[in-house]
Parts: sequence; C-alpha cells; structure tokens
Amino acid sequence: MLSMKQGRWSIAFVCMVLGFMLAVQFRSTQDAKNNISYQRVEELSARLLDTEKERDALQEEINSIKNSQETNASAEQRLKELRVRSGLTALEGPGVIVTIDDSKIASKAGENQNLYIIHDDDLLRVINELRAAGAEAISVNGQRLIASSEIRCAGPTLSVNNVRSAAPFEIRALGDTQTLVNALKMRGGVAETLKVWGIQLDIKEASALQIPAYKGASQYKYARPVKEDAS
Amino acid sequence: MILAIGGLIFGILLGSFFPWSLPVAYAKLSSIALLASLDSVFGGIRSGMEDKFDNAIFISGFFTNALLAAFLVYVGDRLGIDLYYVALLAFGLRIFQNLAIIRWNIMKKH
Repeated sequence: MLSMKQGRWSIAFVCMVLGFMLAVQFRSTQDAKNNISYQRVEELSARLLDTEKERDALQEEINSIKNSQETNASAEQRLKELRVRSGLTALEGPGVIVTIDDSKIASKAGENQNLYIIHDDDLLRVINELRAAGAEAISVNGQRLIASSEIRCAGPTLSVNNVRSAAPFEIRALGDTQTLVNALKMRGGVAETLKVWGIQLDIKEASALQIPAYKGASQYKYARPVKEDAS
Repeated sequence: MILAIGGLIFGILLGSFFPWSLPVAYAKLSSIALLASLDSVFGGIRSGMEDKFDNAIFISGFFTNALLAAFLVYVGDRLGIDLYYVALLAFGLRIFQNLAIIRWNIMKKH
C-alpha cells in the first residue's frame, strides 16, 4: 500500500485513461447498436447485390418471353398466310364461275370427235388464263387447285387432285372479276377458240364466291427442305 | 484511492463528451485494448494488495499491454488469424483470476 501512495498521480492518470477508454468504447458500441453495424451493412449490401442480380435475370427472362411471344405471334401469322397460300383453307370473295360443257353441235362426218369434247388442255388453257389474270384461288368441280394439282384426261373424265369428274366442269376463281372476265373473253382468247368447236363456256360473275380447301393429304417423301446456313 | 476514483470519473466524463467516437471498424481493436487495460488495472490492484506494487511496472504494463494487444489483433486480422478471441480468452481469464485473488485478499483482511 505504501508504494501505491508513491505513484498515486500516475495511478490517477491510468484510471483516467481507463475511464476515457471505457466511455469511448461504450459510446462506440452504442453508436454501433443505433446505427446499422458494419457487418450488417456488408450483409445488406451483399443481399442488395444478390437481389439486383436476381432482378436483372428476371428482366432478361421477361424480355426473352416477350420476344418469344412476338415470334410466336408472327409464326402464327405466317402459318395462316402459308395455309391460305397452299390452299389448306377455304376462301371466299369476288370472282367468276366458268362453266364448260361438251359441245352440243353434232360432229360432222369425217371430223375428229375429240375436237368437240373438252380435253385437259382446254381446261389448262382456261386456268392458265385465269392465273395470268391474277386469280388468287381456283377450284375445278370443287377440287381446289394447289401447287401439286394435276389436270389430266382419265378416259372420258378428267382427273383433278386424283378425283375424277365428268363434264360439265365448273371452274371457280377468286380475283378481280372484271380482269378475269376480260382475260377469258379477249379477242383470240380462250373463250373464242373454244366456241369455234361449240364448246359451251359460260362465265358468271359472282360477288361472293366460296372456294373449298384442299382436302387431300400431301406428304413429301423425297423432297427435303434445303438447310439455310444464314437465314 | 480517492484520487484514483476521481481520475476514473474524470476520464469517463472526458470520454462521454469527447467529440468523436471510434470508427466501427476499429471497435475490435479498442475493445481488446480496453480489456488489456482492465487486466493491467486489476493486476495492479492485486499486486498492491500483496504489497508487490511497482509503479513503473504498472504504468509500462498498462500501456504496452493495451497497445500490444491491439497491435497483435490487428496483425492477426491482416494475416487471417483471429487473435481477437485468443486475447479475449487470455485477458478474460486473468481478469477473473485477479478478481478472485482480490476478493480473497479482502476477505482475509476482514
């Protein structure tokens, strides 16, 4: 105890330093408790970073979904268009009905009787003319003409889409009515040529015409689409 | 004794009205320095009770212990060795030991 009295000032100083440290430490701890602590800040910033990353990922997902929806919509649109073009959907609109029947004129003796009946090339000429005049859809006796449709003689009948039918033939074509009629009736045109042989060709204009869809099946056994490297 | 308590109170007041507080990042270091100081003080009280008190040893021990403890914890932090807990354990054990001896001395006197 004696030696303690010797250094009382130094002890007092040490106690003061200790008290100072205590108080400062106490205040720092209080501050740390009141404010968000250092580690908490770190944790929160990490969480914020995670959330931001998640948000970005979700944003990207939204974008990709939106894009795919757009492509879906455009693909559907394109599918519809292609179905219309390939003749897989029934169509309606203004157009003409061309009815062709065999000749009623009795063939003269010694003349080829074949000239007086309808042949595939007569029909083909009519259809060719209609197409040239911008017909958008054509059917023959209810058979829709598509890209692979054939028109050929099958004995006394005609085969269209592998379905045989006899005269009279009814050709329906959708398009600008006036243009179609004029194309058929033009001078030296199909109608005139066929009339020479007495083949009856009747052209009727129709404001609302229906053309059925192609009913057959189509399969590609041999043809394959060429792969395009860059679309 | 009164001088020591007066110094303590004065120090606490000074610290309470000190304009700046420690940054949170250094709270670890200051706390270990504080623990070392407490250990020194309790050690001093104990030696004083055992009549072995040496002023020079007490003063030098007080400051070097605190600074060394803080420095070691800082270096350990930099090296990835958590010396904080080691110091905490060592000083804590010694404080409680000293407290027990002080209590024993007081009981013996009365």
